[in-house]
Amino acid sequence: MTRGVSRVIEFRGVTKRFPDGTVAVDRLDLSVDAGRITVFVGPSGCGKTTSLRMVNRMIEPSEGVITVDGRDVMATDAAELRRGMGYVIQHAGLFPHRTIRDNVATVPLLLGWTKARARKRAAELMELVGLTPEMARRYPSQLSGGQQQRVGVARALAADPPILLMDEPFSAVDPVVREGLQEELLRLQAELGKTIVFVTHDIDEAIKLGDRVAVFGSGGHLAQYDEPGTLLARPANDFVDGFVGRDRGYRGLGFLPADRLPLGELPTVAAGATTAQARATADRGWVLVVDAARRPLGWLPVNGSLPAGDRPIGAGDLVPGESLYDVASGSLRGALDAALSSPSGLGVAVDGDGVVVGSVAATDVLDALAAARGHEAVA
Amino acid sequence: MIWGWIPANADRILALTLEHLRLSLIPVVAGLLLAVPFGWLANRYRPARAVLIPAAGVLYTIPSLALFVVLPGILGTQILSEVNIVVALTMYTVALLVRIVADALAAVPGTVVASATAMGYRPARRFFDVELPLAVPVLVAGLRVATASTVNLVTVGALIGVGGLGELFTEGFQLNFPTEIVTGVTLVVLLTFVGDALLLGLSRASTPWSRVGGRS
Repeated sequence: MTRGVSRVIEFRGVTKRFPDGTVAVDRLDLSVDAGRITVFVGPSGCGKTTSLRMVNRMIEPSEGVITVDGRDVMATDAAELRRGMGYVIQHAGLFPHRTIRDNVATVPLLLGWTKARARKRAAELMELVGLTPEMARRYPSQLSGGQQQRVGVARALAADPPILLMDEPFSAVDPVVREGLQEELLRLQAELGKTIVFVTHDIDEAIKLGDRVAVFGSGGHLAQYDEPGTLLARPANDFVDGFVGRDRGYRGLGFLPADRLPLGELPTVAAGATTAQARATADRGWVLVVDAARRPLGWLPVNGSLPAGDRPIGAGDLVPGESLYDVASGSLRGALDAALSSPSGLGVAVDGDGVVVGSVAATDVLDALAAARGHEAVA
Repeated sequence: MIWGWIPANADRILALTLEHLRLSLIPVVAGLLLAVPFGWLANRYRPARAVLIPAAGVLYTIPSLALFVVLPGILGTQILSEVNIVVALTMYTVALLVRIVADALAAVPGTVVASATAMGYRPARRFFDVELPLAVPVLVAGLRVATASTVNLVTVGALIGVGGLGELFTEGFQLNFPTEIVTGVTLVVLLTFVGDALLLGLSRASTPWSRVGGRS
């Protein structure tokens, strides 16, 4: 694996003017960090896709220079350049006449690998992106949109390129599948550490995936280039503010660490307990029922619906469904959501194994937010 | 029908059938080989399309007999030479297929071609590995029409003395001998069907991907 230390993509004064006179990209200066996900986001016609395609010379710049690893892409053989960069396109763009295995093996075969080696590599890649081996001999039309997109990612990774270009790869699949693919990409990236340039028109996707996000405005101007938290907290201008959109304050909480958030007591009873025990433990009318490993099962309201008398707690008594606050990967957003969605008003904090470690109250989150802001202002 | 005529003339019928096969096969193969680059040009360059497609249309409207008669003057061949028939029928095949090749290539999804380019395919290899295979179903549909048309047009050659099984038509007509005509027609129809079936089989064998169907 040739994971370059300094392998970066750099745009210097890049302009793309199409023959009809439209300026798709206007004097773009931007450098992409090695080993990170950089997202180009913006409304349609903002030049984000054009910018991406200039990296592998699918489109050639009118002015300016794009370098990869310090080398001007225009001075590099286009086909060689492209074989060194994975490319994932919207709708996957798979070859309909080739099996999944042969689709994935495309670039290794172009690079002159033997068929056996290329197929072996394809099998590894299919496993990496979560495709079962029996799919190897199928054709793309036999796969769902989400599966095709996984094949697209596997194909792009096949020759282990240090750079991955992704052109709205997930926009054609339904939201549930898209979320799964996004999670998968983040998992892969944690493992592979590629330099990824990802184009999307979806600001939420950009904020979720990007280590840095470049917001493009109309006319091919780069409006802001920052980490997602900064983008939400301090949009550079009205355009970015409008594009980042509603709830950005709330979404910004996702980028504030919750490590200074105090955890409170949480009234719990074990699953086998009786209603009388529950009443004795409950705080303000609620008690959390946990299993033998102290993982939450649901909240039990001890007033009102629970009849008087003593009997074991049944599954039907529980009020399920609130979100949990995972202290390990936690952010203020997760903590606030747990508190707001809990029927008792107390968010359930769990550790990485899902074991209850305490409670979190909405007011504490707001205090922590104020503290974080104060800290930021001082810094 | 005088059935006895057939076995009595079996050698001649076989020779004419083979001649017919040769006069059909060469133009279809040559026509296809020429139509692919012309069709590629027509699909790739707008000016080329503006010239090639109408030209092919006009060419196809020239009556075959007229072409058979005119060609010796242009090619400098003997009036009874097989070359005239082969060249004329090749021209018809090209005329018919240029548009079909261009349309078949145009129907290859743009995202597939773009992703092939982005994977690092150079244009020539991309054409043979990606674009041409994907054009096969449409291409073969056109080739089936061209084959049927060519097998039948060969018979017109009989009017100038080189016509394969068509010679059975002209001779049977002159001698007022229906058996000969019916035998000729039957064999021509048979050849057409066999050619069609072979092409269909070839197409199916080379495009397993086109029949697997979408996921429900």
